[in-house]
Amino acid sequence: MAAVAPRIHDVPDDVLAAIDFCYEQGWTDGLPVVPPEVGRVKAMLAADARPAETVIAHHPATGLDLSLHAAAVNAVMAGCLPAHFPVLVAAYEAMNRPEFNFHGSTASTGGSAPLIVVSGPITDEIGMNADVNLFGPGNRANAAIGRAVRLILRNVFQMLPGISDKSTQGNPGKYSFCIAERSRGNPWPLLCEAQGYPQGTSSVTAFAGGGFCNVENHGGNTPEQILGSVADAMANYGCITLGQSVVILAPEHMRILADAGWTREQAQDCLFTLAKRSVEGMKSVGKFRDREYDRQHDDKAHGLVEAGFVHRGLGPSDILITMGGGDAGGHSCFIPSWSRGRSSLMQHAAITPSPTPSPQS
Amino acid sequence: MVICTTPFEVTAKNIARVLGLPDYPFVKVQHPIGSCTLPELKTRAEVAYEQARAILLEP
Amino acid sequence: MQLYSPMSTTPKRKAFRAPALASLDGARIGVLENGKLNAEEMLHEVTQLFVERHGCTVRLLKSKSNASAPAPSNTIVALAQDVDFLVTGLGD
Repeated sequence: MAAVAPRIHDVPDDVLAAIDFCYEQGWTDGLPVVPPEVGRVKAMLAADARPAETVIAHHPATGLDLSLHAAAVNAVMAGCLPAHFPVLVAAYEAMNRPEFNFHGSTASTGGSAPLIVVSGPITDEIGMNADVNLFGPGNRANAAIGRAVRLILRNVFQMLPGISDKSTQGNPGKYSFCIAERSRGNPWPLLCEAQGYPQGTSSVTAFAGGGFCNVENHGGNTPEQILGSVADAMANYGCITLGQSVVILAPEHMRILADAGWTREQAQDCLFTLAKRSVEGMKSVGKFRDREYDRQHDDKAHGLVEAGFVHRGLGPSDILITMGGGDAGGHSCFIPSWSRGRSSLMQHAAITPSPTPSPQS
Repeated sequence: MVICTTPFEVTAKNIARVLGLPDYPFVKVQHPIGSCTLPELKTRAEVAYEQARAILLEP
Repeated sequence: MQLYSPMSTTPKRKAFRAPALASLDGARIGVLENGKLNAEEMLHEVTQLFVERHGCTVRLLKSKSNASAPAPSNTIVALAQDVDFLVTGLGD
C-alpha cells in the first residue's frame, strides 16, 4: 500500500509556541524538541541521495514503516545536523534486521535501549566524542543521533513508554545511547575494520543494551586482573544469561593489555572463560534453566565452555570489546544485552556518506 | 482469542488500535503468569474461560 | 511556521473480526504459545476447560521461537485452516 503524504501542521511563527505544540502532540521524550520545520527537514533529507519515501525500516508488530522522510523529521527534532543523518540511517538499517528485533528489545519489561557504536573516520568528520565522558552529555553528535533513534521508536513505531514500551524500570539510555569508538591510541583494529568493511568505510553497530555497569579497577596491572574484574561484572547474578555483551575498556586498562601484547581475541577468550557461575549458584538464586544450560553445552558447544558452569553468552565472539573514554581513570564498562534467550543479536551496517558536503551549522 | 495480564491491557489496546481493530475484545487475567503455581494458573484459567466464552459467542 | 509530523506515513489499517461462533460444542482449538514461563501451561489449563465443558478438541499447538516477534505467516495460515478458534497470550 502506498504511503500517505507526510502531514504538515501550521503553527504560529513563534519558536516557543512551536516547542509547546510538539509537547501537546506527544512527540517528545519529556525534553523539548527542535520543532521539525519544513525547511530544516528538507535540508536533513539532502544528506541522503535516495527519494524521501524510501523505506529504511519496517516494524513487524504494527506494520508501520520508517521512511527517510520520517527519519529526517525525527532527526531535526532530536537536534541532529544533516552531517549526522547518514549515521542515523545506518543505525536503522542495522536495527531493521530480524536478528536485532528492535520491537522486542524496546517493548520488553527488560528495559533495553539500542546502544549505537560508531566506528571509523566519520567519528572525527562529524565531531563525535570517543573520549572523556564518553557516555555522558555535552557532545551534539552523540546526544542527537542517539536521541533521534529513540524519537523514531516513539513517534514512528508508536513504542510509547508505559503502553507499548513496558520496561519495568527503564534505563537512562532510553534518552540517548550513542558513542564513538576511540581510535586514538587504540592498539586493536577498529570495529569497522574487524567487521570487514573496506578501508575508509565507517560503520554503526547496534546492540540492545540492557543497562550500564561501571567496572572500576585502579590497582590491577595485568590483563588477567583487569579482565577478571570485568568478567565478574559480566557474571553478576542480575546479568548472567546466554546474551551478548559489550565491553568498553578505558585507555588506562587498554594500555595494560596492549603492553602485554594481548589481542582482541585473547581478551574475548579470557572474558568468556572467566564470566561464569556454577550451576549450584544459578539454582540458589532461581535462575538455572535446563534448556539454557543444554543449549550452551550441546555438541556444538564452544571449546572454552566448562561443564558445571553457566557462561555468559555462547562463545567469545558474543563479546564486543573495544576502547573508549578519557585518558585518565581506571573505569571501564560492561553493557549486557537485553536478550537472555538470544532473540536480539547485535548488528552492524556501513555508513553511506552524504552525497554533498553538509553544513556543520 | 488473546489473553493478557492486567498490566499489559494498555499494550493490547494500543496494538489493536494500530492494527485497525480498536475495539478488539481480549481476555484479561491477574498478573503474573510466569511465577504462578498450578493452582494459581487454574484459578486464572477459570477467569479466562468465562471471558473467552462470552467473546467467542458474541455477535 | 509549518512543521512536519514525525509519525509514520504508512496508511492506517482496517481489519475485521472473525464472525462469532454459533456454538462452542465440538469446536476445534488451536494454541499458539509464546515461549514465556508458564505460557504453555496456562493455555493448556484454559483449553482444557473448553474440552471438558464443550467437547472441544485441541487440534494444533504451535510455539513461537521468539516471543516478541509475530508468528511466521505460515504458522498462522496453518492454524487458521484447521481450527475454529485460536488461543494465545500477549506479554509476560
